Amino acid sequence: MEATLEQHLDDTMKSPSIVGVLCTDQQGHNLGCRGSLSDEHGGVVSVLARQAASLTRDPTDTPTVCLESDSGNILMKTHGSITVAVHKMAS
Amino acid sequence: MGCCYSSETEATEQERDERKPLIPHPNPDSKPTNGTERNSGNLPSTRTDEQALLTSILTKTALNIIDVSAADSQGMEQHEYMDKARQYSTKLAVLSNTLSQKKPTPLPSLTSQPHQVLASDLVPYSDMQQVSKIAAYAYSAISQIKVDAKEDLVVQFAIP
Repeated sequence: MEATLEQHLDDTMKSPSIVGVLCTDQQGHNLGCRGSLSDEHGGVVSVLARQAASLTRDPTDTPTVCLESDSGNILMKTHGSITVAVHKMAS
Repeated sequence: MGCCYSSETEATEQERDERKPLIPHPNPDSKPTNGTERNSGNLPSTRTDEQALLTSILTKTALNIIDVSAADSQGMEQHEYMDKARQYSTKLAVLSNTLSQKKPTPLPSLTSQPHQVLASDLVPYSDMQQVSKIAAYAYSAISQIKVDAKEDLVVQFAIP
């Protein structure tokens, strides 16, 4: 069933400097996560992405939200009905 | 239920201290405080009307109230009731302890020195592309999710 998604998350974690990945639906329900991003972050991630999307008028151009920090960035991107967050350390 | 009304009465009393009300209070007899002194002098004739008004309010309120405690206690002994009350309060205490501990977890801590982050380079475009790609793959992976029924969902029981 969800083996493809799980495999995709595992593969993503193998990428250099990625320490966390999370996939959530529009309601903040966690669909899968790895590393530094966990179950509880689903709500925050989906809300941040939705608020950012409400700033743009073009419904086809979904913005990428980036939380910058001195140790790494958390990038959030909505695609269709899901939102993905990736925690990437500075390389 | 009594609490609701008593709080309302207190508010009225406080207001009366501050200024004379436009409409006199329906039951000045129940107020032993300074509010009574002001009203009792100029409103003795309206007292019966007020009593009637008060009675009608009480009747109306009584009609609107469903006495749950009376309905509940019919089928329950006093000690049984007390036991249940104790049981529920213990459970509530346990639950409230666990609830207060469950705070929403924030995202991983970002920075203690914001100026460094603000002065740093822009987020690489390759990172943005990478995230877009991950999101697109994840979306396609999720769209492939379907129920894989391995056996019959409806089973016939051997009913003679």
